[in-house]
Amino acid sequence: MTTATAAVGTTTPLIPPSTHRYAEVIHRLEAGGSMLPDTPENLKQIIGIYKAYAVPMDFYWRDLLYIAEQVFLNPLPAFKYLISQEYLDRPCSYSGDQSKLRIWRGGEKAHPELVEFMERGETRPMPRLLHHLWHDRVNMEFAEACMQAMFWHQGMGGRFNDYLDSEAYRANADRAIKAYFRGNPLMLGLYKLFPEMLLEQVKQLSYYANLGLFWEVMAPVFFEMSDLYDEGQLTSVPEAMDFLVNGIFAVAGRPIYHQVFIRGECFEIIPKSEGLTWLYEAALPYVEAVFYRTSPFRGTKSYNAQAGQVPGNQADFHYGILYADVFPVGSAGIPPTLLMQDMLHFLPPYLQELYRTHKRGEEDQLIQLGISFQRSMYNVTSAVIQALRIALLYPLDDCDPQHLLANRHFFEAQMDRFLRPEARLPQIQSQAYR
Amino acid sequence: MATILETAAAVGCFQTLLAAVEAAGLGAALASDGPFTVFAPVDAAFAALPPGCVQTLVDHPPQLARILQYHVLSGAHLRQELVTQPEWPSLEGAPVPVRCTDPFEIKNAMVIQADVVCDNGVVHIINRVILPG
Repeated sequence: MTTATAAVGTTTPLIPPSTHRYAEVIHRLEAGGSMLPDTPENLKQIIGIYKAYAVPMDFYWRDLLYIAEQVFLNPLPAFKYLISQEYLDRPCSYSGDQSKLRIWRGGEKAHPELVEFMERGETRPMPRLLHHLWHDRVNMEFAEACMQAMFWHQGMGGRFNDYLDSEAYRANADRAIKAYFRGNPLMLGLYKLFPEMLLEQVKQLSYYANLGLFWEVMAPVFFEMSDLYDEGQLTSVPEAMDFLVNGIFAVAGRPIYHQVFIRGECFEIIPKSEGLTWLYEAALPYVEAVFYRTSPFRGTKSYNAQAGQVPGNQADFHYGILYADVFPVGSAGIPPTLLMQDMLHFLPPYLQELYRTHKRGEEDQLIQLGISFQRSMYNVTSAVIQALRIALLYPLDDCDPQHLLANRHFFEAQMDRFLRPEARLPQIQSQAYR
Repeated sequence: MATILETAAAVGCFQTLLAAVEAAGLGAALASDGPFTVFAPVDAAFAALPPGCVQTLVDHPPQLARILQYHVLSGAHLRQELVTQPEWPSLEGAPVPVRCTDPFEIKNAMVIQADVVCDNGVVHIINRVILPG
């Protein structure tokens, strides 16, 4: 290793040690590591949870695109979670033989474990509508909560929101709205009376497309990491982080677009030619909105905005998984709990075994896997931080002290976001946090 | 003298950049009168990007064009002019910062050779692909 920090003890470091409260984490990042300590158990927890996350995510992205492209402005979208076979079979752009950039070695259609769960559920095989009504299904509401977090926070860098406010977007949306409600005087009359209302709905649907295209990448990335781990080819937390960093760069230039199909005709609401990219318009806003900010959802914990318990500035929101107290969150209908329940269905055997042997065993699996998820998302966030450092700053083995100081200031600024007491960064440094 | 693209082709270390300009459909624009200031990454700069990054961009010309436009300023600006302000608006829209005047650094890239004057602008040769953000 040739970084300034790693060289301590052998040669004089080029820059002095950090005095930040999270100096140990910063020095680890400067040595090419992750915010999550490199231990075999951390690796097991994060890879197992990536796998458990990727299966429902395979449903989320397909259904998000189905809603954005097919359900569209249906005023009574009662069946929006009953995804069509066409979208379950829709070839993933990053897996299967047809893929130009194959990330996962598996097939292009919906993951076999997902298909099996959709048929059987927690109960028994029955028609999909009955599974739906019994709520024995993938919790698509979680995906929508993530989309709404992105939609609500908006303006987190990138051009996506600017384009949504442009005249070109308004004209494209107008064409699609009029085509969708052709022959429906009631809805067309409503559109004439309140043009902004349906436009706002279309903007939300564009965020459905945005998140769907984002997760279409992440599901195969996580599946491949799980397969590599099972083969013994992914052996450390930094290796897992580096795989994510490489994945981020490989697909950074993927177009983000929104198209809708109305009576067989394709309407481009956000054309690919706008130059919107996966990294700037989807990935970075997603991390900001979902990992850091989200919103103070109702649960066993209440917030009083009038008493200043909710920040006045949206940028200061801190209700994402990096800050979550997983235990009180664990109530029915709360977005993170919906995801935890989804992941519970697809845990690999080694994680089930791990949870059985700690805390209250199967009784509190949801909490234990929620904390594993928190660890895994600190690792994903580390990958994003390192990717930004690669893109915007300097190599870790740079010999110029000024460059190393610029990297240091960047890492310290990132860690400043975890100085608030709700941050779980200190907890994940210890294996005892379960 | 020659245009920016002719000059780059003659140097021989801009094969990737020239291929990218072609793929993005920016050739005609860069051959026009301009003038432009181009921060031109050498082949090694593209090769240093993580695997797949360049190919994905080449497969999607509008997205590639956006990244390339971040390397272009409107007007011909020599080094002595560039160092007089901390950042310059790129054709992509995002500002390009001048981080260091001596040695001369544009964002996180080192300027290997500044002030290559062409018919339709100025080229500054850099050692890294610069990205908005």
